Amino acid sequence: MTINRISDVEFGEELPVFTPDTSLDNVRRFATAAGWAGPRFTDHEAARAEGLPGALVPGIMSQGFLAAMIHRWAPEAQIKNVDTVFRAPVIVDQPYTISGVVTDIDEEAGNVEIDLTVNNEAGETRVFGTATVRISNPSS
Amino acid sequence: MDIEALKEEFLNKDFDEQSFDVDADDIVNFALACGEIAPRYTDPSHPDFQAPPTFASSFHAGRRMPEGFPKIPGLGMDGGKASSLKHPIRPGVRLVGRTHLHDIYTKTGRSGPMTFLVMRMEIYDPDGVQLATADTSVVIRERPGK
Repeated sequence: MTINRISDVEFGEELPVFTPDTSLDNVRRFATAAGWAGPRFTDHEAARAEGLPGALVPGIMSQGFLAAMIHRWAPEAQIKNVDTVFRAPVIVDQPYTISGVVTDIDEEAGNVEIDLTVNNEAGETRVFGTATVRISNPSS
Repeated sequence: MDIEALKEEFLNKDFDEQSFDVDADDIVNFALACGEIAPRYTDPSHPDFQAPPTFASSFHAGRRMPEGFPKIPGLGMDGGKASSLKHPIRPGVRLVGRTHLHDIYTKTGRSGPMTFLVMRMEIYDPDGVQLATADTSVVIRERPGK
């Protein structure tokens, strides 16, 4: 269900699960656009030479995944802030899923609080985030 | 490490200033790679075209730490990012980012004591209007046996 007004949001509502594109080509595209095109993000072998398990998805890309997930759920939402904690590396070319749940609604102010997690296939949380999102009712 | 003394000496004092030119193609590629589908982030011809809300996190300060800040022993890691958007970031405008040390605190986790340093960049447009803030948290874990 796509959210267009805050009155449609329910406390405890789960956002549709989002599967981000962590392929090397896509991470390279992001890293180049963001000015973060270091070898640890764009080259598995170079990352392993640094002692990493493989090329890393930049933390700011994981943050961007969280914002995109919110916009897929509520296309007109204005994200006021996104706070992310990097608990463990997110590795390029590995599958991840992102989940989100509504934890607070302030209908008068038009604000919704959302908890977000990036999990690997084993269900381990790699990134945890919280977001404050403004969703207006059409008349406001 | 006397955290209170470090706060007194270094907190909330700008130690870096950088200029940034935001390019429409970079906004589109950033947005599409993250999975954005809203046209205001992916289509430069959209009347409300703007950077995604976390774009400010990609801006780099020229210095990582204030001049004279002591080296805290241990293993440093990127602990997290926080972005706060006050006004949209749009292409074709030269922005200025000013960075200060926003917070210092300690915690003891399962792996031992940790020091957290939070660097905050405030991003301004040419009229001096603050558009966004981007926080970077660095976690320094004390090495075992130290």
